[in-house]
Amino acid sequence: MSPPPDRPEILDSDHLSARTRDILTSRLSAPETHPRTLSLQAYAVLDALLPVLLPLDEILPPGTDINMTARIDAALSGPRDGWRFADLPPDAKAWEAALLTLDDVAAEQHGIRFIHLAPDLRGTLLDALMAGQIGLDRDGRLTPPQIKRWAGDLRGEVVDCVMSDPRIQQALGISSSLTGGDTVFQGFTEVGPDSREDFEPKATAPLAQMADSRE
Amino acid sequence: MKTFAETDIVDAVVIGSGAGGAPLAAELARNGKTVVVLEAGPAFTAMGHTPDEIAARELYWLHERLSAGTNPQAFGGNNSGTGLGGSLLHYGAFMPRMDARDFHLHTETGKGVDWPFGLEELLPYIERVESFIGVSGPASYPWDPNRRYAYPPPPANSAALKMREGCDALGLRHADGPAALITRDVEQPHFGTRHGCANCGACHQGCRNGAKSGADNTWLPMAVAHGAELRPGCFAHTIERDSAGRVTGVVYRQNGVEHRQKCATLVLAAGAVETPRLLLTNDLANSSGQVGQNYMTHVSTQVWGEFDEDIRPNRGYPSLTITEDMMRPKDADFVGGYLIQSLGMMPATWGQNLARSTTTRGPAFARALAGYNRSAGMGINGECLPRPENRVTLSNEKDAFGLPKPLIEHSYGPNEWAMHNHAASLLSRMWEAIGAKDIRVIDRAAHMIGTCRMGTDAGSNVVNPEGRSFDIDNLWISDHSIFPSAAAANPALAIMALSLRTADAMLKA
Repeated sequence: MSPPPDRPEILDSDHLSARTRDILTSRLSAPETHPRTLSLQAYAVLDALLPVLLPLDEILPPGTDINMTARIDAALSGPRDGWRFADLPPDAKAWEAALLTLDDVAAEQHGIRFIHLAPDLRGTLLDALMAGQIGLDRDGRLTPPQIKRWAGDLRGEVVDCVMSDPRIQQALGISSSLTGGDTVFQGFTEVGPDSREDFEPKATAPLAQMADSRE
Repeated sequence: MKTFAETDIVDAVVIGSGAGGAPLAAELARNGKTVVVLEAGPAFTAMGHTPDEIAARELYWLHERLSAGTNPQAFGGNNSGTGLGGSLLHYGAFMPRMDARDFHLHTETGKGVDWPFGLEELLPYIERVESFIGVSGPASYPWDPNRRYAYPPPPANSAALKMREGCDALGLRHADGPAALITRDVEQPHFGTRHGCANCGACHQGCRNGAKSGADNTWLPMAVAHGAELRPGCFAHTIERDSAGRVTGVVYRQNGVEHRQKCATLVLAAGAVETPRLLLTNDLANSSGQVGQNYMTHVSTQVWGEFDEDIRPNRGYPSLTITEDMMRPKDADFVGGYLIQSLGMMPATWGQNLARSTTTRGPAFARALAGYNRSAGMGINGECLPRPENRVTLSNEKDAFGLPKPLIEHSYGPNEWAMHNHAASLLSRMWEAIGAKDIRVIDRAAHMIGTCRMGTDAGSNVVNPEGRSFDIDNLWISDHSIFPSAAAANPALAIMALSLRTADAMLKA
């Protein structure tokens, strides 16, 4: 029986430990309740922001949704990475404030909320945010220097979410989870260029097929 | 494992079970001393480690730190560790020796600080560490032909091979670097079988077969075999003293309950942030005013490129190729020098570096991430001078224990920027020379050094040249917080060597 389309083949490899399989499998489903951390308004801004920041349609098979917004929202209530910029409030507060700042700036500049902006205008606002050119100096919002710092946190969080997803790893042909099983710890026999081993995934994403097509 | 009662006055309590605490604990125990090691983190099992980078954060010190300055440092990943074995659970095992010149940087250049002794003093301890834990390396090391390693190097991965080409193109020497891992199975005394490296590439997420030489599979089993007690899950927060000011015990929290362990001697081995934080929160050993000062890192610029081949940067030992040719470059406009190493990397860590160092978005961001399997990197570790504005202090914000969170201020000075620019240019030229595309420079600092400097003058140093507090004679520090200067080499080897040396001094005291 072929695996359901949403279940990446790497999850059935014997080069995966049971613990790692469980961790990766848990990412296939969206968190049960959301938003868990952000307000509904901030959650909606994040949801409208992510496809402009990092579209995944040229990486994932059509119709695949890795539920990035819900997973990031849930991650903000979980264990964090052990540090933050001193000039930002704690992570959950910083995210809420940053996203509401973006929404307010959208309303001031365009007269409508961020989620109603056309994608190119959302992108322009995101560029201004990353350049530290927008921000609000009032309670519960972030100033331009703060929001520039937060942009790094946003980008980092998105990448953590994406690169740790088994569907993304499968699509990009990434074998980093396949270090070895529980009874046999295989590691890698081949480690040089152009030497993919049979158990390692081949890239299927249109964006990443160049290397595999050379084999 | 032997255990002690809290009312026993043990010869030594050691706070921290990593590179600073573990060798010393083993050495004291081996010489008949009663030792309790307090470790804030849990006891992990090697086969339970996972290459999943998010879950593997369990190996990192995740008590929140506040990062400030013009180069605020990222903590968490590949920085301070937690668990029995400390940061050696997640370290990259790149194990170069300190360059002899780096002990005398001030004498050589008029900048930075000299160590109170030279390489000749530390070398016997360095060789003991290498021999006991197991370090692999080339048959002949170009920058030190007399050096020998007990194990042959692991196979060169794609990044290591690419860096060799880049060095050849620009006329730089290169070699397989010293790596603290074993490449054949051995029976480790007091531990059991350690297997040869399987080239899995997940060193930073915890070695699953014992190949990587950590404290958990070397020093700590030896300490236990000689009667030391390891107590995981114990967060030490209060240092108690008698009326004369000498340390009498340590209060720590375990499973939400306060405990007290009495001791004749206390050793702090909690690292360059937690060690000064403990001293500052307890207002101890700071007559010099230097606790928390002179915080240093390593200039750790990376340059990545994309290649036409299928590189798969997660495979194989990540950082095998080394060149020490830039330890004193002729065209340098900075003092000190840097090492260059090849870089493979796990995908989320690699993606984080990419994400935080660029502002690309949209399809271009997706394309950059999709280039993971074609990417290879090189990185440096370079001298970072002590500067008065770089320091660890206590913030006004409290953590879950009610203790002030540490605030770490870190800004590059002219020397660090000059070194960064030199390396960014050189490494970019190396990649260009062999046809790399989309070359990307990442400005970053790594490691944590300084904050409880050792030296001969009690007025400007926290501990003496053997690691003993000038203020409290039964308080010792054994970790990288005592380094007077950063030097270029990754710090783990020097930390372990100093740890054995401080143990010797304690046994003679």
